[in-house]
Amino acid sequence: MRVRPRLHLLEIWRGVATTSYNDNKWTWGGRFESNSVSDAQQLLCLMFPATEISSFGLGNPDRTEEATLEALANLGGAQKIPLLIVQVLHEYLDRYTADDGTPLFSGGSHFLSRDPDSPPTQAQLELDVVESFAASVTLMLATISFARSLQRSVKREEHLSSLRQLEERAGRRLTAAMVGLLRSFTINTFEETSRMGQALLRSVNQAGLPERRVVHDLRHELRDVIAGLRDEIQIGSGQSKGGDLDSPNLLFECGWSWGVIRDAERVPFFDLSQQRDGVASDEPYLYFTMVALDAIADLFTERTRRASLLDEDQQRLARALQIRWDLTQEYWAVLADFGPAQWPLEDIPWRATDEIESDYLSVLVAGVAMRNLVEVRADDLDLSRMGTLLSELANRGRITRRPTEDDQALQKLHDPGFQLPLVVSGEAIGPHLIWPVQDYAAVLLKRSARLATMLKDTDLYSDVLTLMNSLWDHLDLRRMKDGNTKTLWDQPSLAYSTLTRTYDQPSWQMTVRVVESLVLAAGLVANEPLRSDTLYNLTRDMISEAEHLLDQEFLIGADNAGPSMRRTIQSVNANLQRAKTILSKRPASAHALVSSVLLELDTLAAAREDSTWAR
Amino acid sequence: MLVFATSDKGGTGRTVTSSNIVYRRALQGSDVCYLDFDFGAPTAGAIFGIHTVQRGTKDGGLHRYIQGAIDEPQRIDVWAESERTSLCGRPSGAGELVLLPGDEGGSEFVVDDESVDRCVDLLVQLNDSYDIVLMDLSAGRSFATELALRVTARDELRSIPTRWLVFHRWTRQHVIAAHGLALGVGGILDLGKGFGHDHDELQSAIRFVRTVVVNPSSEQLAGLRAAQITWLRQMDRDLNQLAGNLGIGRLVTLGSVPLDPVLQWREQLITDSDTMLREIANPATVESFEALAKGLTDDWITI
Ligand SMILES: Nc1ncnc2c1ncn2[C@@H]1O[C@H](COP(=O)(O)OP(=O)(O)OP(=O)(O)O)[C@@H](O)[C@H]1O
Ligand SMILES: [Mg+2]
Repeated sequence: MRVRPRLHLLEIWRGVATTSYNDNKWTWGGRFESNSVSDAQQLLCLMFPATEISSFGLGNPDRTEEATLEALANLGGAQKIPLLIVQVLHEYLDRYTADDGTPLFSGGSHFLSRDPDSPPTQAQLELDVVESFAASVTLMLATISFARSLQRSVKREEHLSSLRQLEERAGRRLTAAMVGLLRSFTINTFEETSRMGQALLRSVNQAGLPERRVVHDLRHELRDVIAGLRDEIQIGSGQSKGGDLDSPNLLFECGWSWGVIRDAERVPFFDLSQQRDGVASDEPYLYFTMVALDAIADLFTERTRRASLLDEDQQRLARALQIRWDLTQEYWAVLADFGPAQWPLEDIPWRATDEIESDYLSVLVAGVAMRNLVEVRADDLDLSRMGTLLSELANRGRITRRPTEDDQALQKLHDPGFQLPLVVSGEAIGPHLIWPVQDYAAVLLKRSARLATMLKDTDLYSDVLTLMNSLWDHLDLRRMKDGNTKTLWDQPSLAYSTLTRTYDQPSWQMTVRVVESLVLAAGLVANEPLRSDTLYNLTRDMISEAEHLLDQEFLIGADNAGPSMRRTIQSVNANLQRAKTILSKRPASAHALVSSVLLELDTLAAAREDSTWAR
Repeated sequence: MLVFATSDKGGTGRTVTSSNIVYRRALQGSDVCYLDFDFGAPTAGAIFGIHTVQRGTKDGGLHRYIQGAIDEPQRIDVWAESERTSLCGRPSGAGELVLLPGDEGGSEFVVDDESVDRCVDLLVQLNDSYDIVLMDLSAGRSFATELALRVTARDELRSIPTRWLVFHRWTRQHVIAAHGLALGVGGILDLGKGFGHDHDELQSAIRFVRTVVVNPSSEQLAGLRAAQITWLRQMDRDLNQLAGNLGIGRLVTLGSVPLDPVLQWREQLITDSDTMLREIANPATVESFEALAKGLTDDWITI
């Protein structure tokens, strides 16, 4: 694999440290001016690897690795780095907490206006956005575990109390973020004959079956989801819709909208007066759904559980989120591979019910569907189709294929990227808003890395690695080249000569996606290599032949035939033992060892044969 | 500032390292003096190249002064009296470098109140004349250690900043031993409390120095086989973990001195002519001494 997770992560850390800390001050903001989403992403570039990969840990200064310290040297030494991070995390919490204590998850400068002449209004800039809830879930979990771990190394009372405060504040923001996610979940129902219904049917009906039948089959496949949505959504948004779902002609979608749904009910377990009203339309966005699912998954990882990062209220909220997580994943997975013909997902680009179509949407659906493949029923065929699909998306995104002259893909996916129109329900409060995302290439890498972690078949695995290599080569080209931001993303014009815009600030959105991919890739490398069964069987047979030949040598007393012979036999024996020990985990290495053993033994046998010809 | 150099085990490199630290500190411009309190085996004379006091002095050293046999211990101006040409003459910009040798044939003795008084007098007086007064104590939980703890607990010395350096080699046994000496039962901290020291204050004045450290990724080891380097790296990681767990990890480590070919063969000060002119010693060794010399008076923050 050409992706070297450790090396690249260290490079990124160096870039983050030099870009973000100057004249003893933390510099917020990048391509977008400081806002709750970008700032969280900026911090996650540090905190995510620090919590996910033990050798990148920063919570125990005695154990911080030298290489890590070197990368972060601009932030200070082993003692100062964690203290500085504590201070910066406090600063983040200060910035995004209102005077009355209300946690703020506003999109701020990340919101763009569709009309360049009329910028978003102040009221719009202050709207909470799902991506901020999601980023805060991950960041606050990382903060809590970091603060706890650091408390064990710290002695000074002032530091201890600052850490306790940080833990407390992060816990509160975490709760608020979870509440936000519960208030932006949505079930969107529509008639089969409506425009949305028709759009959905066009996507799923790849076999061209009669509509009635498709509706019936789809509802049948979705029966568990329907039951779940009807019976189990009891707090937050999306409750009222559940009952409608029983009507046989009704189709629906579920997932997350872009912000708090208009009139969403407030959720217990958190100060009701601090739950701000939303205006988001009651329909799911694939992008925000994916972002929310990824964040919610962090709530029930092994680590979160083992370290008991959640308090009792948070565990309740997490269970409520998990229900939505399961149902949403199941829903999109059913849609993705529905029907007897080609998967709807394979019909690229994916077309959403609002009739927007994009390769980016295909990547998102693939991401959700893939999660489900792990949970339930992954067989190699499904996984291989998924691999092919990702390669196809890399081609279409002009990552592994050269762009044509005036290629639309470049603008639509990379720069300025995919532009999500944020629909407001009810009265408009300003110009139409847009949420820009330009992380197509990095998201593809992330999905490929995730797919690789699921594979057992060595051929498939090496195909996916090849894809990851090409994606990485492309991403590597797009790193910024100058000054402090060197090693960070994103400079798309370096990969595409027809793009002329150049940036001098890093995109934290793109950089954090790359970081997430690298963390996944690091997990991949840390695992034992995939075992080839063919190689295993072959090597096992070779070992038994070698053992037999060695026994023959013992039988004729080779081990008593002087020092040189004894050394040879001893080394042959040692290599053979080692081959047996590692056979089951690393058959290829065992194969190499036993090959050398067989060669050595054959030299002895050949010598003996030669001595017999004159008899 | 008073600095006490200790180690649990003998032969850790305490004397050689601390001599080189004061030497570097003098070159950096401070007035320093070195007290050979290792009553069992005073060897500092040899390291500074003072032939006459190679194994301690015959003219009344620290040992006899503490016991009340003489009024003034001998002081030797190293710049003036060293036989090593590269040490002769104080370089411009350098501070004083003075050695107070131990007595030849001296030995450990029991600490009584009078010896504590005399020691206090001496240290107060030296502290007035020098920026740094470093005492090389005998290894282990010795009488010298006890004397140092009793002396520093006295009111006269309360206002003088005092620091402890615990030297240990970078091996499992040495790490465990150093932890024991500083933080274990009957160790410095423990004994110190008995003599009236404040626990936290004393603890914050202790730092560890790793000696004869083999750095697995150094140029020097280019000759080792890949498998050996791999093993060393794993050992290094394990040791760091052990040290961290024992509470003597990076946070309380002042520095580490790499294994040096010259020191391996001879106890001496490493001068710039050793590294630059003759290139027999490693520049990295000197850098580590310089860093230690600087770090000695830095703020030792406890986080
Ligand atoms: N960095 C180093 N590299 C190689 N050898 C070293 C290094 N530091 C010290 N040594 C050697 O280790 C040996 C012990 O050093 P030294 O006499 O300074 O130890 P000590 O702790 O003072 O011993 P004692 O307890 O006997 O007083 C000496 O031979 C010295 O030259
Ligand atoms: Mg000594």
